[in-house]
Amino acid sequence: MIVSKQKEFRDILKTVKEKNIFIIGCGKCAKKQHLGGEPEVLEMKKKLKVSGKKVIGWTVLSSACNIGSWDEVLSQNPAVGKAEALLIMSCGGGVSIISSVAPQSAYPALDTLSLGGVCRDSVVMEQCNMCGECDIQFFAGICPIGQCPKGMRNGPCGGAMEGKCEVDERNCVWEEIHKRLESLGRLQLIEEIREPKDHSKRRRRD
Amino acid sequence: MSFREKLTSGKFTVTAEISPPKGTDITGMMKEAGMIKDVVDAVCVTDNQRALMRMNPLAACSALSHEGFETIMHMTCRDRNRLALQSDLLGAANLGIKNVLVMSGDYPTKGDHAGAMPVYDLDPVQLLGMISRLNSGFDLSGNSLLGKTDFFAGAVSNTELTEAAFIKLGKKVKAGARFIITQAVFDAGKFSGFMDKFQSAGGKQIRVIAGIIPLRSEKNAQFLNSNIAGVKVPDGVIRRLKSASSPGDAGIEMAADLIKELRGVCDGVHIMPVGTHENTRKLLEMAGI
Ligand code: SF4
Ligand code: SF4
Repeated sequence: MIVSKQKEFRDILKTVKEKNIFIIGCGKCAKKQHLGGEPEVLEMKKKLKVSGKKVIGWTVLSSACNIGSWDEVLSQNPAVGKAEALLIMSCGGGVSIISSVAPQSAYPALDTLSLGGVCRDSVVMEQCNMCGECDIQFFAGICPIGQCPKGMRNGPCGGAMEGKCEVDERNCVWEEIHKRLESLGRLQLIEEIREPKDHSKRRRRD
Repeated sequence: MSFREKLTSGKFTVTAEISPPKGTDITGMMKEAGMIKDVVDAVCVTDNQRALMRMNPLAACSALSHEGFETIMHMTCRDRNRLALQSDLLGAANLGIKNVLVMSGDYPTKGDHAGAMPVYDLDPVQLLGMISRLNSGFDLSGNSLLGKTDFFAGAVSNTELTEAAFIKLGKKVKAGARFIITQAVFDAGKFSGFMDKFQSAGGKQIRVIAGIIPLRSEKNAQFLNSNIAGVKVPDGVIRRLKSASSPGDAGIEMAADLIKELRGVCDGVHIMPVGTHENTRKLLEMAGI
C-alpha cells in the first residue's frame, strides 16, 4: 500500500487558483488510510465551499492509479467536464495517471510518503523503497533500504540511543533485524558483508 | 615518524579533532591547530560534523599539511555518492593525505540544512571496502587506476555496543579498517571490557584509539549523556564535577587520569574538547605524554 498524508488545507488553497473544482478520491490505499474515501472527499468539499470555491462534483474512483480511459470517467461523472481543476485525493501515482488523461490541471491533496502496508488494522510505513532488486531475505524480511533512514546494509550506525533510531521515534531497524534473524536461527546472514546496491536497477524501463 | 608508523609500531599515539571553518577564513582553524602542534601525532579533520555545513575536510587537510601537520581526513557517507567519494579520495591522495576515518555521518535533519538529500549510497563497511580496492589499484567498478592510493583507513565505534553493532564493527575490520577511533570514554573499566571483547573476536591486529572529552561542567556532562549517542558519563564523574570549585580543572584532571589508565589498555587517545584546544597541551602534560 502507498502511504500518504493529508496536505495542510491552506497549502492546497495556495496552489489551487481555479474556482470550479471537481474532487476525485481513491478507493484503494487512500480510502484505507481515511485520506481519500467518501467521508474525506465530503469533508474536503465542505472546506472548499467555505473558502469560496465551487465544488461542481466529486467521485471516488475504485483506484485513482488504474483508469481505463477519461471517457469512462466522464460518462460516469459528466460534471467533471465542466471543472476548471481536479483535486485528487490519492497518492502521486493516482495524480499522475489522471493528469495523463484529463484535459484540466490535476492537483494533489495528499503528500505521498512511502510504500508500506496495513497490518492488524494499523498502517505501517516505509516497508520498501522500490530499489529494483529485492534481497529482503538477507534481513529477515525487514528491509533496511526501506526502513533505516540511512539505508545501512551492513549493520546499525552509531547513532542509535537505547535502541531508538538517531533520526526519529522508530526503533533502530538493525536491532529488529538482529532480533528476527536470531529467532529464525539465521544470524550468520548478518555477518556477511553486503556489497553496495546496484542503483541502475532502479527506475529502468526495459 | 608518521601516524601510521607510530600507531602500527605499537607506540601510544595521540590525535585531536579539528573542525574546518564555516566560511573561507581558515585563520581560526590554524590557530586551533597551532595550540596542539608537536603534542599530537595527527589532527583529525571533521566532515560537516553534526550535519552542519563547513569547509570540505579535503581542503582543510591540505591547508593543515602545508603547515606541517599530519592529518586524518574524516569521510562520511552522508553527502556523496560512490563517484564523488572515489574522486575525493583520489584528490586527497594527490594532496598527500594519507589517513582516512570513515563514518556514516549524522543525519541531515540534525544539522543546519535539514532539507538536504541524505545520500548514504555506501555504508561505512562498503566505503572501507572501496578504499581497500583503491589501495589495490582498482575503482569500485573494477577499472584499474593510473596510480593507486595508499590510504591508512580507520573506522569509528561506540564502546558500549549491542550485538548487532559489535558484528558490524567486525565487518568494518574485515572490509579494511586498520584502526578504530572510539566515541568518548569515561569509564576505564568498561572500556577494558570492550577491548577484551574486541580483541578476542579477532581485533588484535587493529589499533584502538580511545576518544577523550575533557568535561567542562556538570551541565556539559548531562548534555552529552542525553544528546550524544554512545556517550555515557558515569554518575561519579558528574558528582565530582558538581562538587568541584573549578569544574573545568576537575574535568581536565579526570581526563588526564583516564589517559594514564588507558595507556596500558589501548593504542592511543583522541582528544575532542568541547570548544577549543586551549587546554589540550596541559592535559597531555598532566597525563605524562
Ligand atoms: S530490497 Fe528493495 S525491493 Fe526489496 S523491500 Fe527493500 S527496497 Fe523493496
Ligand atoms: S539508528 Fe538504526 S535505523 Fe536509525 S539510521 Fe541508524 S542504523 Fe538506521
